[in-house]
Amino acid sequence: MIDCDVHNCWSDSRELLPFLEPYFRDFLERGELPGGRGSFPHAHRPWLHPEGFMRTDAFPPGGGPPGSSYEFLREQLLDRYDVEYAILTGDEAIEVSTLANPRLASALARAANDWTIETWLARDERFRASLVVAPQDPAGAAAEIRRLGDHPGFVQVLVSTGSQRPYGDPVYHPIWDAAAEVGLPIAAHLGGQGGVNSNPTGCGPPTFFVETHALLCETGMGHVASLICHGVFERWPSLRFVLIECGVAWLPAILWRLDADYKALRKETPWLKMLPSEYAAAHVRLSTQPLEQPKDPRHLWNLLEAIDGEHTLLFASDYPHWDFDDPTQLHLPQAWEPRIFSENARELYGLPARVDAALAR
Amino acid sequence: MTAQERFFACRAEEVPEGERVLCRLDGKSVGVFNVGGEFFALHNRCPHKGGALCEGPVTGTTVPSDDFDYVYGRAGRLIRCAWHGWEFELETGRSLVDPSIRAKTFGVVVEDGNVYVLI
Repeated sequence: MIDCDVHNCWSDSRELLPFLEPYFRDFLERGELPGGRGSFPHAHRPWLHPEGFMRTDAFPPGGGPPGSSYEFLREQLLDRYDVEYAILTGDEAIEVSTLANPRLASALARAANDWTIETWLARDERFRASLVVAPQDPAGAAAEIRRLGDHPGFVQVLVSTGSQRPYGDPVYHPIWDAAAEVGLPIAAHLGGQGGVNSNPTGCGPPTFFVETHALLCETGMGHVASLICHGVFERWPSLRFVLIECGVAWLPAILWRLDADYKALRKETPWLKMLPSEYAAAHVRLSTQPLEQPKDPRHLWNLLEAIDGEHTLLFASDYPHWDFDDPTQLHLPQAWEPRIFSENARELYGLPARVDAALAR
Repeated sequence: MTAQERFFACRAEEVPEGERVLCRLDGKSVGVFNVGGEFFALHNRCPHKGGALCEGPVTGTTVPSDDFDYVYGRAGRLIRCAWHGWEFELETGRSLVDPSIRAKTFGVVVEDGNVYVLI
């Protein structure tokens, strides 16, 4: 099984100090921080999880937050579920997108990436990581992709779904250009809903965490529509876009609507050569977690057939967060499981075929 | 295929260049269009949802572009359905989005200033 959303984190943001340029170290050592010394500079979303968003059994016995201990993560996730590869998505690093200062945001992203190489990638061959960039600094993000994009441990570029503009906007094109150049997919993970970024729901800010969390998929809808309509997949035909933790059941409906509207309004986007749904099938991949759970799972499966779910979905657990999906409890059509649990991710990320451990010995 | 019959639609001067007239021919609503002096006839029924195809604007559109820019072309050679705005070529009835979708076209004959539609 390949887990496409595993959150590793630092116990204290000062772990980043060795990887930061001197000016930016001051922010961690003496600067104002949202959660006191040791917390990470970012603007927090105004919806606070009433119980904290961690699995409460995931706090490492030796202290620190869930996801900060390699040994405990290995025990609770990698070994327990026989994970072949864990795609690390970090934790607070993508929140750099909320910062007003793009240079600070990029400096923190660079430090987080170097920290990831040293602290995590070096620990276990099962780890692959996400190259975090600050989307509000397109030039800096592109430079970071070119700096580390060839490192074999990084399998995708990662931004938050919270953003100032939808990601098809030409302002972001330098980022996609760099990603295409180094041959990495772009992933957007739920997050970054605060600070300079747009409100995540179009009708205004929700009130409760419960409603907000259910509606955060709205940002994913906006990015998918924007990337397709701006012709990003025509400009960079090799590019793949991975949407992480935004749910999946809404995608068929959005694509049906886009196809219908495109047939009437194609003159707005004459650079498109296929229907929006055809671009999505070829270029967009979705992580499963949190998989929608209707009373009758067939209702979901019927929808997922419309987006060729067998070939477009990637299993993700979201360990160690509160809405973790246990791979043994997921209701998917059995015939789809090999692709969703492993093969789609293997193809997308270019991971080697599994060597049977017993035979290899 | 049943033999086509010739129906008188209008006098040519009733349809100036760029204009269209709607006629009732053989029980059908038919639009007769003058495109640069050439006449075309389409069934006034959109293959999408049966809308009033021939009552929409005669127009041009952005042509397919590889440089991600707007290039306007085919002015006066397209009809946009009055209902949902699907674009069709007046000459062939082909949809611009999906050429396998075609609006019904009819042959036109002009004789002595009389416009006939072959149905």
